[in-house]
Amino acid sequence: MGAAGSKLEKALGDQFPEGERYFGFENFGNTCYCNSVLQALYFCVPFREQLLEYYTSNKSVADAEENLMTCLADLFSQISSQKKKTGVIAPKRFVQRLKKQNELFRSYMHQDAHEFLNYLLNEVVDILEKEAKATKTEHETSSSSSPEKIPNGLKVPQANGVHKEPIVTWVHNIFQGILTNETRCLRCETVTARDETFLDLSLDIEQNSSITSCLKNFSSTETLHAEDKFFCDKCCSLQEAQKRMKIKKPPHILVIHLKRFKYIEQLGRYKKLSYRVVFPLELKLSNTVEPYADIEYSLFAVVVHVGSGPNHGHYVSLVKSHNHWLFFDDENVEMIEESAVQTFFGSSQEYSSNTDHGYILFYESLGPTK
Amino acid sequence: MMNNSNGMISAPSSSSSPAANPQSPGIKTYFKTPEGKYKLHYEKTHSSGLLHYAHGKTVTQVTLAQLKERAAPTTPTATSSGYSASSGFRSATARLLGTGNGSRALSFGGGNGGSKSMSTSSRISGSFTASNSSTSMTNTNFDGKGTYLVFNVSDAIFICDLNSQDKDPVKSIHFSNSNPMCHAFDPDAKDGHDLLIGLNSGDVYTVSLRQQLQDVSKKLVGPLHYNKDGSVNNNRCTSISWVPGGDGAFVVAHADGNLYVYEKNKDGATDSTFPAIRDPTQFSVDKAKYSKSNPVARWHICQGSINSIAFSNDGAHLATVGRDGYLRIFDFATQKLVCGGKSYYGALLCCSWSMDGKYILTGGEDDLVQVWSMEDRKVVAWGEGHNSWVSGVAFDSYWSSPNSDGSGEHVMYRFGSVGQDTQLLLWDLEMDEIVVPLRRAPGGSPTYSTGSQSAHWDNVIPMGTLQPAPCKRDVPKLSPIIAHRVHTEPLSGLMFTQESVVTACREGHLKIWTRPSESEIQSNSCSEANPTSSLLSTSFPPKITKPH
Ligand SMILES: [Zn+2]
Repeated sequence: MGAAGSKLEKALGDQFPEGERYFGFENFGNTCYCNSVLQALYFCVPFREQLLEYYTSNKSVADAEENLMTCLADLFSQISSQKKKTGVIAPKRFVQRLKKQNELFRSYMHQDAHEFLNYLLNEVVDILEKEAKATKTEHETSSSSSPEKIPNGLKVPQANGVHKEPIVTWVHNIFQGILTNETRCLRCETVTARDETFLDLSLDIEQNSSITSCLKNFSSTETLHAEDKFFCDKCCSLQEAQKRMKIKKPPHILVIHLKRFKYIEQLGRYKKLSYRVVFPLELKLSNTVEPYADIEYSLFAVVVHVGSGPNHGHYVSLVKSHNHWLFFDDENVEMIEESAVQTFFGSSQEYSSNTDHGYILFYESLGPTK
Repeated sequence: MMNNSNGMISAPSSSSSPAANPQSPGIKTYFKTPEGKYKLHYEKTHSSGLLHYAHGKTVTQVTLAQLKERAAPTTPTATSSGYSASSGFRSATARLLGTGNGSRALSFGGGNGGSKSMSTSSRISGSFTASNSSTSMTNTNFDGKGTYLVFNVSDAIFICDLNSQDKDPVKSIHFSNSNPMCHAFDPDAKDGHDLLIGLNSGDVYTVSLRQQLQDVSKKLVGPLHYNKDGSVNNNRCTSISWVPGGDGAFVVAHADGNLYVYEKNKDGATDSTFPAIRDPTQFSVDKAKYSKSNPVARWHICQGSINSIAFSNDGAHLATVGRDGYLRIFDFATQKLVCGGKSYYGALLCCSWSMDGKYILTGGEDDLVQVWSMEDRKVVAWGEGHNSWVSGVAFDSYWSSPNSDGSGEHVMYRFGSVGQDTQLLLWDLEMDEIVVPLRRAPGGSPTYSTGSQSAHWDNVIPMGTLQPAPCKRDVPKLSPIIAHRVHTEPLSGLMFTQESVVTACREGHLKIWTRPSESEIQSNSCSEANPTSSLLSTSFPPKITKPH
């Protein structure tokens, strides 16, 4: 491992970023899904900074109770405080905790990196919310400054229909966006808008398309008819309607999940779509509500699925750090050319030797999204 | 699990686009336009089994090369073969108007310099109908004239006879050390070296196309070698061009943002040295330290790759597009930036001039086709219609507006674009609609409005400045008149010839689509209720969505 580390250090030379650490993760038997996502999150600077800040400010109580977030904070802090600039770390405690907590990730089977990311972020949100509620009850009478409320007095309906002030954690501030689902009754023309929050966008993909095009399709107008009619409150009946999804508030970090694993009914199983879906290094969202129309995003991480099927394969990640692109494959970390990102778009033919496909994309906003 | 209130939201599965099923293998062998049917005439390809296939490493570019009879004509008009330049393709004779010192140069009546100005110039030899296919593989006698397609795939350059029904190349040239990436042809090259080839290693060759065709080996014959082993610049050659009217001068763009000017009569064996680039973020031009060596000058254009370059037909202007998303237009003689601007987002991949030098098309990673006006020094329209990156753009210089009567009041341009979505799109641009209303304040007063409209449209843009990315709502939008899936692979090139449209995919398959026949065009224009026209529900007649 020392040799590999020094190779990367040599490649970067005096351009090695001050204070930065590039550490590979040991694989504990099919834990590449976890390693690839953790690398992407570590190089998601606002997430790393918040987590390390949490770690520092909660050090005294850290040994009180271990949870997935404390394990993650512990791991991040371990990396950032390494004396060496490069090397390998075993995320043992984190993986143990993950397996203990969720039976889904307990087996040595191939896991879905997106499911893991989803689980991890929601878990961190739950922990932060619980802590926030606890502090809230402690300071019941005094007006607590944190947690903040969603700006603009915006209320997000809860799943159970009870309107309560939602708690906004730093995870929300980083990843959360708001979609608005506009439904226009074709009889009375009334537009009903319903807001939904998201931490990432899962997009349907098509062969030889771009992320821009997939986002356009995501927001394309859909007609609700036949058995899929819409109950119009004004007409008090089921009516044909037009529905479209727009981004009302774009997130600071935009996570895009490409739906490469598709259930094929005829086969009775999932199939991997190896479609060529190009993603630009810079992106603007075509489907936003003003005044967010021209906000620019920059790609900083890609989780790549390697393999031809959904039940086996491997995950690696590409990460942009201080204007260098790095390739993380479990223990191994290499520097790559920016143009090499293009080799992870997918295949324009169904059967191809190229099986390395971009699966989760991480974009950071370059402009104000608040 | 995916739908708790803080969770991740999946796109509705029913929201897939109405586009044709990409899995469908059926690609039609024709496409309909308002003027009639374009039919697939020939296909050109290579036997990929012979190649050491480096997937994704090379992208096919195509050059049209017209070999004239040995006794080359000398008058500028007679040398015009009338092929238009485009990105991905390099034109054989891109000097239709520029070098001509006759009265016709740069004067435009109805169409954009297409068939009208072409009617007097010599047609290329061997039209499609009268082609005699050279099925025999005797590469011994290529003294005659002919029109060829030169294209690169992996480690080879292939040469096909445009007017032959033969699918296979008449010649292949293999490179042992590096892959060819780009090429260009000059039919008027004086000393016989008319073909330029740029390699992945940065090396550059000039050769005689005729000499290659006469030779039976798979090696490059009689080349002049420049930037040997990348000694001056070892970054990939991305785009290469002869300087129109430049007396053998040529320009090579590299993946590191530098561009070099070579003069053919200078020594290629002596390496040039250049001073270090002072500020990589700034444009700078440096001369070589010794005047006898090649290249003679280095232009540092931008950070990141230059993806494509194109000279205006008169050779006065050089356009570059690159990784940083900027289109830049330089005055080539004075080495000064004239104007330029940023893409909506992402890199720009291709660029191409209109024959009259008034407009530049660009295509890029924002899936848009941009129309840049030299007069306004800004983007005047966005073509929206591709579902992926736009990899090739070109004006159809042979097309003339059916309504044009030569008065010049209704100038219309036809252009095409190809993308990584495997589609060919055709567009019409009506300039009175697009330019005039935008330069007037609401109400039709010819004065500039203040405040109500965006600054992008109101301010006169000074020379020598680069424009930031425009806001989406400020740019007029165009819709394509047709969109047709022409290949199964992402496309990389597009070119218009007098008889046809040529499309190329990244993997090195070429298709030649013949234009509608004269009789078909006439019957179309005579009958309003022509079923061909009425089938085009998309957006005919073309209209531009103006900004509000
Ligand atoms: Zn209603």
